[in-house]
Amino acid sequence: MTDFYQTGVITTLHQLGISSLERLESELYGFGKVRPIALVLPALYSEFEGPAMPGIIKELSKVKYLNEIVLALDSASESQFQHVRELMAPIPTEVKIIHNKGKRITEVYETLARNGIEVGAQGKGRSVWMMYGYVLARGRSDVIALHDCDIVTYNRELLARLCYPVANPNLDYVFCKGFYSRISHKMNGRVTRLLVTPLVRSLQKLVGPHDFLAFLDSFRYALSGEFCMTTDLARVNRIPWDWGLEVGTLAEVHRNYSPRRVCQVDIATTYEHKHQILSPDDASKGLMKMAVDICKSVFRTLASEGVVFSDGLFKSLLVTYLRHAEDTIMKYEADATINGLDFDRHEEAKAVETFTRAIAMAAQAYTENPMSTPLIPNWNRVVAAIPDILEMLKMAVEEDNK
Amino acid sequence: MENFFNLILEPLDQLFMRFKMFVPNFLAMLVILLLGYVLAYLIKRFLVKFLTAIKFDSWSDRMGFTKLMRHGNLWGKPSMLLGNIVFWVLLFLTLMSGLSALQIAVIDALVSQFFSYIPRIFSAAIIMIVGFVFSRFISRAVLIAAANSGFHYAKLLADAVSTLLLVLIVAMVMEQLQIAPVIVLAAFSIIFGGIVSALVIAFGVGGIHAARRIIEKDVLDKDKEETKDEIEHI
Repeated sequence: MTDFYQTGVITTLHQLGISSLERLESELYGFGKVRPIALVLPALYSEFEGPAMPGIIKELSKVKYLNEIVLALDSASESQFQHVRELMAPIPTEVKIIHNKGKRITEVYETLARNGIEVGAQGKGRSVWMMYGYVLARGRSDVIALHDCDIVTYNRELLARLCYPVANPNLDYVFCKGFYSRISHKMNGRVTRLLVTPLVRSLQKLVGPHDFLAFLDSFRYALSGEFCMTTDLARVNRIPWDWGLEVGTLAEVHRNYSPRRVCQVDIATTYEHKHQILSPDDASKGLMKMAVDICKSVFRTLASEGVVFSDGLFKSLLVTYLRHAEDTIMKYEADATINGLDFDRHEEAKAVETFTRAIAMAAQAYTENPMSTPLIPNWNRVVAAIPDILEMLKMAVEEDNK
Repeated sequence: MENFFNLILEPLDQLFMRFKMFVPNFLAMLVILLLGYVLAYLIKRFLVKFLTAIKFDSWSDRMGFTKLMRHGNLWGKPSMLLGNIVFWVLLFLTLMSGLSALQIAVIDALVSQFFSYIPRIFSAAIIMIVGFVFSRFISRAVLIAAANSGFHYAKLLADAVSTLLLVLIVAMVMEQLQIAPVIVLAAFSIIFGGIVSALVIAFGVGGIHAARRIIEKDVLDKDKEETKDEIEHI
């Protein structure tokens, strides 16, 4: 249980008292009639072979308030696609699977490419964007919820709490982000704890008060992969195809809507998923790659809002960040100690060193090419270029799922 | 005995003579088919490259040809589809030419019938393409005009106009191809006539009062003008 303190410029919805899943679900069932809810799931075939996806399917089989489920399947052959269809069959809600490697969806991607719509490489960002497109093409849902498919500790309360603030017409939120404590026998969530928060606070110190930085700092877990939004937002939002997906999405939400209509909700007491390696010497994979992409996304967003990044600012940022991150390590060490959690200070310091290098690399990349953007255009822009694209996408998915 | 052998050998000899006459024709047919196949393949390759260079696929995506293909569960590139159509048409023409090289009366008649039918196929294809582009254009114009006028069912109206025009075009194509022309004409007259009659009744009955108001206003305006004229003359 947490306190009820409200932090930052957005609303925080805590988990207070004893929660009642039955009450939440019955209310969501009613809201679903006014604002039908779609759940979109970006998945790899390998996640169906691990422990996460079978558990998620089992939980989703008990959910009655969803209007539709759309799953984007990556890295799967035709036979694996058919196998996934069989695995998803027990879910009572209508399930549609976007087979990213399938003949028809490949042709949809080619149609986009030849019309100058850059949708990036295979990954969560591209899959999420495609699923939004499909939900928009069908036009049957008003709310879109999204969560990862590698959550080992998944239960349906997570989904209910995630959907509730946007699905409830009386609350009037257009975007809701999930948060949770990343605790096992130790503290996880290194990128959020040791990169994003110290980086944002360092930037606040250097560039002064800034709306976007205040907005970003308001999120308790800015990198959580679980969020819920209205379909209107899904239509106008651009999505980054790289690891800047979460930060980039927040930047787009900040750009398009008032923080008053944005909230974060406590969705789980425990959360465990697939961990990434740190990869301190290779910036093309692991947390290092993630850190570089996130930093680039933050720099570009700030630059687009008028912040001037000079060589001196970047140099000061590195030093300021390092000091903030070292102070943060001490805070978390104390927090871990009082809660009896393992805390490897050396590993934490190594992570900070890696992230410092990542900031420097991102700064260099930004300086060399400030205009480079990994954002996939929003669906309004795509439809303006290819008027029939949504219908084509709908036909492709319907044919694949016959 | 010799007569008996002659009776047996003569048909065989005739058969052999016919075979000797047939073989060069058959070889000519094979050569025509082979050359035709190679030529059709090269033309297809060239056409696909040309269409790609002029961004035909992108144009098709915007004009709705690609969507039409997808409706038919065809998931290739429009340029490739057009290339394949041209390839198979050329291959078919080659087959017809090859068969005519056999110099068999029945096949010759069939081939000449086919070649006399070709102009109709071409004109039908042109009607189809031009008609489709025209219907898309009109449909878009109706959509924009209706939406700008604040008409709630603008999309429905545009789709209805597009569908009607497509019915008209399909009827024209069928008529051109001489496929059951009497039935096509009758069916078209019934469908189109029925739609127009329905619209006449709907607008006529529903718009009596509006029409009366418009006419009365018109008459009233004329009266006013006449009165004004009289005063000015005085």
